[in-house]
Amino acid sequence: MNGTDLVQLLLGGLAMGAIYALVALGLYVTHLATHRVNFGQGDFMMAAAYLTIATRAAHLSLPLAIASVILCLAVMGWLLDRVAIRPLDRKRRSTVGSYAWILTTAGVALIVQNVIELRYGKSSQYSPPLFSDQRDNVVHFFGVGVFVEELLVIVVASAVALAFYLFMFRSRWGKCIQTVAFNPEVASLLGIHTQRVKVSVFVIAAVLAAFAGVLIGPLVTVNPQMGLIFTIKALIVAAIGGLSNPIGIFAGGLLFGVAEAGSNYVDSSFGDLYPLLAALILIAIKPAGLFSERAIDVR
Amino acid sequence: MSAEAGSAVNHAPRAAYAVALLFLIVLPWMPINGYWVHVAQTFSYTAIAVIGLNLLLGLSGQMSLGQAGFYAIGSYGSALAAIRLGLPVAVAVLLGTMLAGIAGAVVGVFALRTRGLYLAMTTLAIGFVIGIVGQRWVSVTGGTMGLSSVPGITFGDGRHDDTWYLYFAGGCLLLVQIGADYVSDSRIGRRLRAINESEVFAAAIGIRVGWWRASVFAASAALAGLSGALFAHQSGFVGSDAFSVRLSISLLIAAVIGGLGTRTGALLGSAILLVLVELTAGAEKYGLIVYGGTLLVVLLVFPQGAAGLFARFRKRPPVVAARARDDRLPFAAFEGASLSIRGVTKRYSGVMALDDVTIEVARGTVHGLIGPNGAGKSTLINVVAGLYRCESGSVGMDGADLGPLDADGRARHGLARTFQNLRSIESLTSIENVQLGIAPRLSVFSDLRQWWSGRSFEAEERRIALAIMDFLGIGSLAAVRPAELSYGHRKLVELARAIAQRPKVMLLDEPIAGLNAQEAKEIAAAVIRLRALGATIVVIEHNMEFVMSICDTVSVLDHGVLIATGTPGEVQRDAKVITAYLGTDDAP
Repeated sequence: MNGTDLVQLLLGGLAMGAIYALVALGLYVTHLATHRVNFGQGDFMMAAAYLTIATRAAHLSLPLAIASVILCLAVMGWLLDRVAIRPLDRKRRSTVGSYAWILTTAGVALIVQNVIELRYGKSSQYSPPLFSDQRDNVVHFFGVGVFVEELLVIVVASAVALAFYLFMFRSRWGKCIQTVAFNPEVASLLGIHTQRVKVSVFVIAAVLAAFAGVLIGPLVTVNPQMGLIFTIKALIVAAIGGLSNPIGIFAGGLLFGVAEAGSNYVDSSFGDLYPLLAALILIAIKPAGLFSERAIDVR
Repeated sequence: MSAEAGSAVNHAPRAAYAVALLFLIVLPWMPINGYWVHVAQTFSYTAIAVIGLNLLLGLSGQMSLGQAGFYAIGSYGSALAAIRLGLPVAVAVLLGTMLAGIAGAVVGVFALRTRGLYLAMTTLAIGFVIGIVGQRWVSVTGGTMGLSSVPGITFGDGRHDDTWYLYFAGGCLLLVQIGADYVSDSRIGRRLRAINESEVFAAAIGIRVGWWRASVFAASAALAGLSGALFAHQSGFVGSDAFSVRLSISLLIAAVIGGLGTRTGALLGSAILLVLVELTAGAEKYGLIVYGGTLLVVLLVFPQGAAGLFARFRKRPPVVAARARDDRLPFAAFEGASLSIRGVTKRYSGVMALDDVTIEVARGTVHGLIGPNGAGKSTLINVVAGLYRCESGSVGMDGADLGPLDADGRARHGLARTFQNLRSIESLTSIENVQLGIAPRLSVFSDLRQWWSGRSFEAEERRIALAIMDFLGIGSLAAVRPAELSYGHRKLVELARAIAQRPKVMLLDEPIAGLNAQEAKEIAAAVIRLRALGATIVVIEHNMEFVMSICDTVSVLDHGVLIATGTPGEVQRDAKVITAYLGTDDAP
């Protein structure tokens, strides 16, 4: 393997890793405020990828296409909370215990997948490139050719993650979410509309999935069954990051993407499974995650 | 005995088993289409996997989204054993089951460390990985093209092969159902339910939480494997497409729709699932919508499942007349032990909760632990019970260091506790909560035999539990669930459970908080009688009258520091204690 291959491998891994990170950050934000996540987060991303293809096929300009995808996903996030999450709070102890939301969100994921299949068919599709006129446009840095699309996916995904971070830790809304995360009762005593925060985190998560769905287009072919594996990988990335540290999750996503690119290069038939298994073992050894200290609850 | 206690003792419903067996035997000889024999086979093996999931999720409360993976291991294992090694079908099926069980045990080690969301994620990922391996390891599994000509069961001319196979699969189901019924009715089920509701509580009464969680995980994986193996030999073909996450979801749908944690739930759920599969067979492209929609509807509209709907019509346990209080306990005496807490220091990220606390409690005495709110009393109890680890210092009983023991080990070593906040298992009746404390008397096999014969199943345990409840004057409440009891009675149920553990040392965390004066008096009397029987008791309490009237010695904690220790009289006169409680004049 020469230097060019190495750089391309690294960039390819970083680009996929950035997508994993965006999907995982969506899991992080809902887990923070509600201790629940959408087990269809990957399917939401898949839906966003298809909507991107559809809106661009309808000759919408790129910003308009992206805006409409984000709007659609925001509505899906809102619906998810109303249909699959909030009604569970009104139930007395169900026999499924406190994890009924895993099954309801998984149920919604199946429905989303089926709807996309019905509308766009089961086979894989190419998404048009986002930033240039063809998918494999290459620019050269110091004699090393890199794909423009990959490079810009990394840049844009990082920008989205940064914006999300600033939103969470600098804005008033972000502070409301943090307060609800600390203690919902205290938050409502402070005048925070807890219920509104709880639905907004699912909208935010869906919007992050929308960005991931828009950005994944230039990287892979999209198909309706792709959601599950992204859900799994995002969950694992979020878990490695400790589900409580957005910077850790972003770093974990990039790391996972690079590790995957590397192991795919080494073993093309089972390569994608090794990082998955390694991460599972890591989680078993250190359930609190790599980048988080286990907080002791003194209350 | 049981009639007195007002609740029916569970035992094997042998008549139901006999009817099921008879039905199984005559079914293939009925004037029915061969199709229905096939359906009955499918029902049998599906129900086996669902029973496994019901044990896992319904009893122990662990979510698995990866049952398809273990099903796949059972399928491939059994099919390969029959094709490559030429083993007889029954042996191959057993092998496949064991393989899946071993895989489940390995994953169960993960399950020991993760729970809730993480466990769901781990199982989802593992099921996915196993499916991918099945798809891509073509040289062994055949991938999507699969393994064909997997042998079925055949004798002679092969005319009755389907009948024999139905007997085989149905017989397996009957045995599995009997086993699951025993688990559900026996102490194993009570323990799993305790783990389900609160692992901290379960550990505090001596249950090896991790061991049980891993075991039930392995058992449910083995049942999924058995199911998969039976599927393989029925269909004669094993292809990787059969083991998608959709299968895991289907099994979950069946378990939930039938009624989790119930005896008949898995059977009802499997039947409903087969109907669902049949309905979607014609509209394959809407399959996922049907599955996803069913999940939503079931969880949102009737989470109790079909069995839960039936249970609503079942009659409630009869109300029992008041029972006389009985001052005798079912055992002559407690084997008390001394408790020594030496130099215990505990910090919570910088906050000093306990600073070098040393307390000696002599055997057979009652020791009061008092102090203002936030003094570190509950922390000390949790350190003694093994729920918290202290930075330095040691806890010993009769001179033996408890340091190496976790909470469950300490409980089995003779340490029982009650909690400041009520902890009782809501899915069990009061007497079953008390029975949780009683150490197993019989081996599993003798216990199983008694359950099967129906006579005297757990009679001794129930006699002991009821006698303890009578000792505390709550015998008439034996059949009631804790949630339906008053606060005071629930505290007494918890105390009864602690007594049932026959502890050497008993830790009572605020036993009379929230009780009325009469109830408090009864608890005080009970504590004094327990001491007379030799128990060593440590009481945390804010009520000074209570503490001073029952304690032999008292320690006072303030801001994590032991500021006084001695007899109630000495402590009451101690200047530092008075300051801690009342403040000083020169305070700012």
